[in-house]
Amino acid sequence: MSYAYLFKYIIIGDTGVGKSCLLLQFTDKRFQPVHDLTIGVEFGARMITIDGKQVKLQIWDTAGQEAFRSITRSYYRGAAGALLVYDITRRDTFNHLTTWLEDARQHSNSNMVIMLIGNKSDLESRRDVKREEGEAFAREHGLIFMETSAKTAANVEEAFINTAKEIYEKIQEGVFDINNEANGIKLGPQHSPAAAGGMAAGGLGGSQGGGCC
Amino acid sequence: MQVLGIPVENGRRALCWKLLLNYLPPSRLAWDEALDGQRCAYRRFVREMVVRPGGAAGGSAAARVDVTEHDHPLSDQPNSQWQTFFKDNDVLGQIDKDVRRLCPDISFFQQPTEFPCQEVVCGDYHERLHERVQRVYLDSASVCRVGLGMQTKVDAKRRQQEHDYVALPGGQEAHWEVVERILFIYAKLNPGQSYVQGMNEIVGPIYYTFASNPDARWREHAEADTFGVFTNLMSEIRDFFIKTLDDSHSGINFRLRLLMERLHHHDPHLAVRLKVQQLYPQYFAFRWMTLLLSQEFTLPDVIRIWDSLFADEKRFDFLTEVCCAMMIQVREQLMSGDFAHNMKLLQNYPPLEIRTVLAKAEWLLSR
Ligand SMILES: Nc1nc2c(ncn2[C@@H]2O[C@H](COP(=O)(O)OP(=O)(O)OP(=O)(O)O)[C@@H](O)[C@H]2O)c(=O)[nH]1
Ligand SMILES: [Mg+2]
Repeated sequence: MSYAYLFKYIIIGDTGVGKSCLLLQFTDKRFQPVHDLTIGVEFGARMITIDGKQVKLQIWDTAGQEAFRSITRSYYRGAAGALLVYDITRRDTFNHLTTWLEDARQHSNSNMVIMLIGNKSDLESRRDVKREEGEAFAREHGLIFMETSAKTAANVEEAFINTAKEIYEKIQEGVFDINNEANGIKLGPQHSPAAAGGMAAGGLGGSQGGGCC
Repeated sequence: MQVLGIPVENGRRALCWKLLLNYLPPSRLAWDEALDGQRCAYRRFVREMVVRPGGAAGGSAAARVDVTEHDHPLSDQPNSQWQTFFKDNDVLGQIDKDVRRLCPDISFFQQPTEFPCQEVVCGDYHERLHERVQRVYLDSASVCRVGLGMQTKVDAKRRQQEHDYVALPGGQEAHWEVVERILFIYAKLNPGQSYVQGMNEIVGPIYYTFASNPDARWREHAEADTFGVFTNLMSEIRDFFIKTLDDSHSGINFRLRLLMERLHHHDPHLAVRLKVQQLYPQYFAFRWMTLLLSQEFTLPDVIRIWDSLFADEKRFDFLTEVCCAMMIQVREQLMSGDFAHNMKLLQNYPPLEIRTVLAKAEWLLSR
């Protein structure tokens, strides 16, 4: 299947907050209760539709532990969107957000859209961070915010798609330079820059990233 | 041995691993002394770091009781010998989470060991490692709440584990608890590096192999022996874990570059294809090499691969060839797939016949 745009995402946040589970829920629509911890990076891809156009998401899910931070940093460059995840049942993961955000801002391109995610919303009885606190943090730092559950799939779809919508809007506004791949955005194979914003035509995909995920 | 693997009978595999990783000296006559020494040393570490954290002086029961009365874990005194103890708990919290995620596809690690550490399970004045983690979580949770002036009461259910890696009642220990102790002691003894995620995946297969040794006389010492062999193995691969972006000869980046050079040597078309697609080895082979392939295959296959890796005198040259073989085995798919397809293929390696992959690697090594 062909696409009009390709957006690259990165998922960041402390170890164990559910980054890999969120990715798996989004790409495969399933939850794996005991997921291998991530060493290095994991990759996922999926096609979504925005404003009637096919948008392909390529997602890099990174390792949360401090020891892997230098590797994680090398993935910020070239990402158009970031999901910054904490665990609503573990306050320490919320307290570390500032560090994550500093890292992200320092190593990414300045237009990167960041979505703050409070994951594990199904564990209401063990909640340790109020929704309002997440909202306040997001407001203060200019992020979009959502609470999700990788287990029940609540808001997972929305988190990934709303991020893409935001990126898409920035493209329409001309904020993103879509001809610079370092911004994490690519035009589809049959989609010349002049035709950007036009109809996404069908047809065979190019050699890279063309096929369906 | 590299090609055929080590037969399991009579614990021969466990024995070979101890020899190949220099835990046992080559001369059989020296074994008893070596084993005694290393097992004793390990027991001492357990006593100092787990049973009596903080290193209280004196070993008599009376002295120990005294210590816990006046300098207990909840004491806030700055000179408390429990200070280190609390610092350790960050590391411990991480290890605890990771060992509970160990090899979920087999039930081995959740089962009780026949040989629990007596000093740990029978003592009545100290906590087990996982209990320390639990208590600290409760403490920090209540502190945070007080700090924010909120009135929520601590929910007793919040630490309840959802999965089956539950702690066993007194007198018993599950295998994952043993692994937790090994990793904790390793982290304590190597403060510069401490615990890095992935070490759990390295220690797991070693412990499994030793703790399922058919010979009970070996099995009994699985914990101490695993610690020794793991420590030796880590000394060879520790740079994969520390200087992760370092280009030194022992660093992972150097290894990854070497891998692509070898691939180019064996199969230039495939190597160029991956390069053009920007499928860098950092994306998939980083994990392959750092974890010695332990996340790519089932446990029996991993153990079989490790026979060959440990038998490799120029350690880890063979690992490079196994990784090349893995790519070449799926070359048809890689040559036709797009970036996303190939990326997923390499990150979720298909369950191919492991003997074929190893035979291929053996053949590549000779080229
Ligand atoms: N109840 C519940 N559990 C979740 C949810 N998301 C993840 N988990 C659990 O949290 C644990 C960690 O999830 P992972 O996805 O592996 O965490 P991660 O952020 O990728 O961790 P690292 O790879 O170590 O950085 C797993 O055991 C999951 O079962 C959720 O929404 N609800
Ligand atoms: Mg993960």
